Amino acid sequence: MKRPASWSMKRPAPWSMKRPAPWSVKQPAPWSALKLLVACIYLFMLGPILITAAVAFNQDNRSYFPPRGFSLRWWYAAFGPQWMQPLVFSLELATLVALISAAAGVPLAFAFQRYNFPGKSLVRAITLGPLILPSLVTGIALLQFLSLVGLGRWMGFWALLIGHVVICLPFSVRTVAISLAAMPGNLEPAAASLGATPLAVLRHVTLPLAIPGMFAGMIFAFIHSFDDVNLSLFIARPGERPLTVAILSFLEFGFAPTLAAVSILSMLIPLALVALFGRFVGIGEFLYQEAGNG
Amino acid sequence: MVEPALRLAALTKRFGALIAVDAIDLAVAQGEFVTLLGPSGCGKTTTLNMIAGFITPDAGSIRLHGKAVEPLPPFRRDLGLVFQDYALFPHMTVAENVGFGLRMRRVPRGEIAQRVAQALDLVQLTGLDQRRPSQLSGGQRQRVALARALVIQPAMLLLDEPLSNLDLKLREEMRMEISALQQRLGIATVFVTHDQAEALTMSDRIAVMRQGRIEQIGTPNDIYERPTTRFVAGFIGTANLIESREGVIVIRPERLKLCPPGQEPPDVRCWPARVERVVYLGARLELRLRIADSTQLLAETVNDGGATWSTGDMATAWFRPEDAWVVAKE
Repeated sequence: MKRPASWSMKRPAPWSMKRPAPWSVKQPAPWSALKLLVACIYLFMLGPILITAAVAFNQDNRSYFPPRGFSLRWWYAAFGPQWMQPLVFSLELATLVALISAAAGVPLAFAFQRYNFPGKSLVRAITLGPLILPSLVTGIALLQFLSLVGLGRWMGFWALLIGHVVICLPFSVRTVAISLAAMPGNLEPAAASLGATPLAVLRHVTLPLAIPGMFAGMIFAFIHSFDDVNLSLFIARPGERPLTVAILSFLEFGFAPTLAAVSILSMLIPLALVALFGRFVGIGEFLYQEAGNG
Repeated sequence: MVEPALRLAALTKRFGALIAVDAIDLAVAQGEFVTLLGPSGCGKTTTLNMIAGFITPDAGSIRLHGKAVEPLPPFRRDLGLVFQDYALFPHMTVAENVGFGLRMRRVPRGEIAQRVAQALDLVQLTGLDQRRPSQLSGGQRQRVALARALVIQPAMLLLDEPLSNLDLKLREEMRMEISALQQRLGIATVFVTHDQAEALTMSDRIAVMRQGRIEQIGTPNDIYERPTTRFVAGFIGTANLIESREGVIVIRPERLKLCPPGQEPPDVRCWPARVERVVYLGARLELRLRIADSTQLLAETVNDGGATWSTGDMATAWFRPEDAWVVAKE
């Protein structure tokens, strides 16, 4: 009689596992200290968000915690035109920034990863520079530059688009470069030996393997643009303000429950985006640097 | 006259001051399995890469079935390549990997499916066509790489150390399998390796390379039984190399016999020797000997329950004259 395939698998039954449960081991002090530290970090990461979410349910226009009474009106207000207009503006801006960053990032990453050309290190430093430069500085510089060359009327959407692409491009260049670097070196020669022209190699092998990096870069660019306030603060103008700037100006009137609701909304959008794309492309390897181990 | 499948003439490649491949000549006949064997840096991989078209030679010619291919890019050379790391496309299934070459040749879909199935059958991977390379074992990846290279019915097969990532047991199995497959298909093959056991067991002829040159080329038998240089004698198997006035005397350890003093057969050469060490290898015994002029020798005997030796024994080491030969000193 033929045995089912699963019988031949020599996996130990769960009850035969000899490993002691982790909590039963007496751990040396550094371990418990580390665990405490990690717990604190999570507490400070999640605590403020949870408190903010709770505050948005206050009855009155005061930010009490724990909330006094219960009301959804601040959430209604958050969906009103006063907030929807900058929210839509931010979404449009971030989407365009993500698309442009990917369109420019893929060829740039190829150039940096695959080719040597005069001035390569300079071009790379300029492209990736905004990663280490405070975006506040980039914002002031862009503001002065546009006024100096007489393009002050570009202030608002177009200037924001330029500025955001400058600070978001490094993300897409880096993620695509990681994709290219992680690709085994013989794949392209193998494809060529099988009769693929250079264009076919690019289309059937190189690009498909760079696409996860491109998507990850788009997500990073989108989020970075959506979250940016430093740069936007200088080049936004009334009616053409991203959500972050709108939140900041509203803060002058104190931290109202509306603001709490808006903040939670603005946090959920990037979160949903990461969750959605994470299902289709593995962006985890770009977040956690696992690409090299594959 | 039948053109050889591959003919290299005075093929040369320099990297700066280093001459990686130094004017080598080589002909591989139809259906022949030729191994380029040598230590790392001997130029064997560079030679393979020039044949495949990934490296442009500085001088010399490469002819495939009589046709000069130096001006052709890799994708026009019609060669089947298997790489050390297999280089399977991770985003494609096994079937898509194997069918890639046919797709590039614009073979109709139905025919691709049929030929892919045949190729997978050939390497005994039937039924795995929808797997991804990441779901396969090392040996299975190796077979996919082989099927992918063979399905295009290339003019010849180039194998770049394809077995070195496998564990010993599997490696020995794959040696036999690749050999059998190659003979069945009658495809001319160039195999690059630094593993002498692979070279000896698989090849019709072995080209031993050193510093960009072919030091000796011949059948495994020639190379092992009659190495023409000191390097080849030392690189393939182990050898006793005894300096003498005429040159270096080469004797394989298994041809050096040991007997109690004075009991050697007639018409042999012999030295009085002292057993310095006996190394037990299971099926064989390795005897380290010292002869009169303090030269150390190595003898290997079969552990057949016959004479036993221990450290300090005095003996006679002897060999038949036809089992030793002289190579140049260098």
